[in-house]
Amino acid sequence: MEWIDWLKEIGLPVEDAKHAQTFINQYEDTIKTFVHEKWNEYLPNQENELPLINDSEQIENRIELDEMKFGESTNQGKENAEKRETDFLQLQVKNKHVTVSNGKVKQKYCFLFDAEADFPGIENVIFEGLETIGLQYNTETKTIEGTPTQAGDHKIIMRYGFKNREESRPTSLEKEFTLIVNPDPRSLWKNTPTPLDEEYYKPDEDKAFVKVESKTTRKLLGLKQEKEARKDMVAASQRGRSHAHESKARDDDFKLYFDDASEWYVMVVADGAGSAKYSREGSRIACTTVVEVCKAKIFELKDIFETQITEFHKTDSNENRKKIGDSLYSIIGTAAFKAVKNIEQEAQKKPILMKEFSTTLLVSICKKFEFGWFVGAFWVGDGGMGIYRKEEPEYLKILGEPDGGEFAGQTRFLTMPEIIQPTEIYRRLRFDIVSDFTALILMTDGVTDPKFETDANLNRIEKWHALWDDLNGNNEDNVKVDFSDDNEQSADQLLEWLNFWSKGNHDDRTIAILF
Amino acid sequence: MRRLPVYLLLDTSGSMRGEPIESVKVGLETMIASLRQDPFALESVCISIITFDREVKQLMPLTELENMQLPAIQTPESGPTHLGEALEMLCRKVDSEVQLSTPEKKGDWMPLLFIMTDGKPSDSQKYNQMIPEVKKRHFGSIIACAAGAKADPKPLELLTDQVYSLDTTDGATFRQFFKWVSASVSIGNRSIGASDEILLPPPPPEVNKVI
Repeated sequence: MEWIDWLKEIGLPVEDAKHAQTFINQYEDTIKTFVHEKWNEYLPNQENELPLINDSEQIENRIELDEMKFGESTNQGKENAEKRETDFLQLQVKNKHVTVSNGKVKQKYCFLFDAEADFPGIENVIFEGLETIGLQYNTETKTIEGTPTQAGDHKIIMRYGFKNREESRPTSLEKEFTLIVNPDPRSLWKNTPTPLDEEYYKPDEDKAFVKVESKTTRKLLGLKQEKEARKDMVAASQRGRSHAHESKARDDDFKLYFDDASEWYVMVVADGAGSAKYSREGSRIACTTVVEVCKAKIFELKDIFETQITEFHKTDSNENRKKIGDSLYSIIGTAAFKAVKNIEQEAQKKPILMKEFSTTLLVSICKKFEFGWFVGAFWVGDGGMGIYRKEEPEYLKILGEPDGGEFAGQTRFLTMPEIIQPTEIYRRLRFDIVSDFTALILMTDGVTDPKFETDANLNRIEKWHALWDDLNGNNEDNVKVDFSDDNEQSADQLLEWLNFWSKGNHDDRTIAILF
Repeated sequence: MRRLPVYLLLDTSGSMRGEPIESVKVGLETMIASLRQDPFALESVCISIITFDREVKQLMPLTELENMQLPAIQTPESGPTHLGEALEMLCRKVDSEVQLSTPEKKGDWMPLLFIMTDGKPSDSQKYNQMIPEVKKRHFGSIIACAAGAKADPKPLELLTDQVYSLDTTDGATFRQFFKWVSASVSIGNRSIGASDEILLPPPPPEVNKVI
């Protein structure tokens, strides 16, 4: 049966071979796909055996159909069986979509491609186009392997022949497929400085070390002098690659303060919202204001506050707990409130909506007493803040809860009206008394996302152990922050540490550590 | 790692046959190639393609840009535009593919949705039923594109206020459109936070916002 007759038989009003050919040319893709799909459905039923030409009437029809869509065979039927089978095999190779996995520049690539198994009946397979992109075909392992050197959609040609056929010369037949090589994302990041004349300009990186020198204390009767090392504070803030890529400013900020007279430490870290226009200024105002107000309030309240803390240490009662809470509210609560007011004022000056200054806020105030450390804290937004002790007895206290939403990047900001409510501020206050600790750490989500990944992990001490190890040099870049007492170099080291690579995590990173 | 899921709903009804669908393919290819040059996208964008004509098919499940290869897109000779059914499949896929934040799992970014049609939904009852369902899925942004003279932007306006119309369905227009889509995807990748609305880059001149 001629294929044109076959078309007529299924009810198509084709006039002549030319007419039919035009039709086929136009719908070649569809017919190909259809036949291909049906063929795949059909194959499993045949237990994957390659059917031979004289198998059944069904196959006969199949080949007619197959040939028809290429419009190659005009005097089909006159050809011998071998030729038809070859055509059939060739068709199989042509129709089967070759998919090889995508590669990545400078990363080892290995893909098992056993063409002779994938396409039964072919042999003498060679590939063209691999060498130029740093790859080769290993005939023993039957793998495409190597380290790609060039990104792009590369066209690879597979040349092959058929077993026991005249066309067995490898160059006689070819099939093209695409091998995609992705660029190395590290090479795509640009680092463009923020323009100096940018409104509310902020340096792309910042660091600080607050050295708190050892205190000389006189023991009983003043006969023996003893030097007592005191904890120092270090902080660093690095603009994220996402911002560096577009020469946008860093949105994070931090501020450290040590009050020599009263020996109170104040640490503040803030993360301006990525989507808010002036959040870099929001975070700056928040940090500066909080330190100013805490300083003033601690000066004003320290006598009462410190007595309350001592009392609480003696007797852990609800009443004593409430007193400390109230004092913390007066100190940090007032500071947070004032920060919002200052941001509001700045927004009104522009004028622009306050949400354009959206920022998170993590605050900690602490002091060493004879009986141990008092740590008070306040937290709005994501990131993390905790007291960590590496040595036995291990200890971890997370000073609040990260605010997250259903989706990534959703959090709460200090500037949201529902946050600056007395009960809400109170709810977010935390305090703790601990004998000693390895580090008190405050960090923005640029650090917690890659290092902790989930909120649940933030509460796992193993993750903090890992972070501390990482900070101490156990990382792929071998960057070590030396946390020995009075080490002023630690600020530079911490800033360098913040450059760590983590896929998909390129937000601004800020970390402040009391150690 | 935080993923940015991007859903593309493409009209493959009979009228898209020929040049229009070929132009869409070229546009898609260009889009993928340019997204691969964006380090953000390369590390976080995941794309899913759903086509709709008489049948609705998810041609490609949510796949990382790094690992994706464009599937073949087919168009039947003629037939209805089952956009309502496509939205139904979309909701199902979003429910199963998009990861929400839990204490133990890191959530994806809010997904983005792009719809391109050159007609109007043939299954309008289903379409209207699905609108509130789509809205419940909290897309970071829904951008609909009515392509060509026969496209009706009205039903799309019920779904989103970001409806754009393309005068023609030729290659140059689609190329511009997908270029813009990829720019939007790049931006969507980083600006979610204080406001839920994503700030879109201005559309190219070929794309007219429907007011």
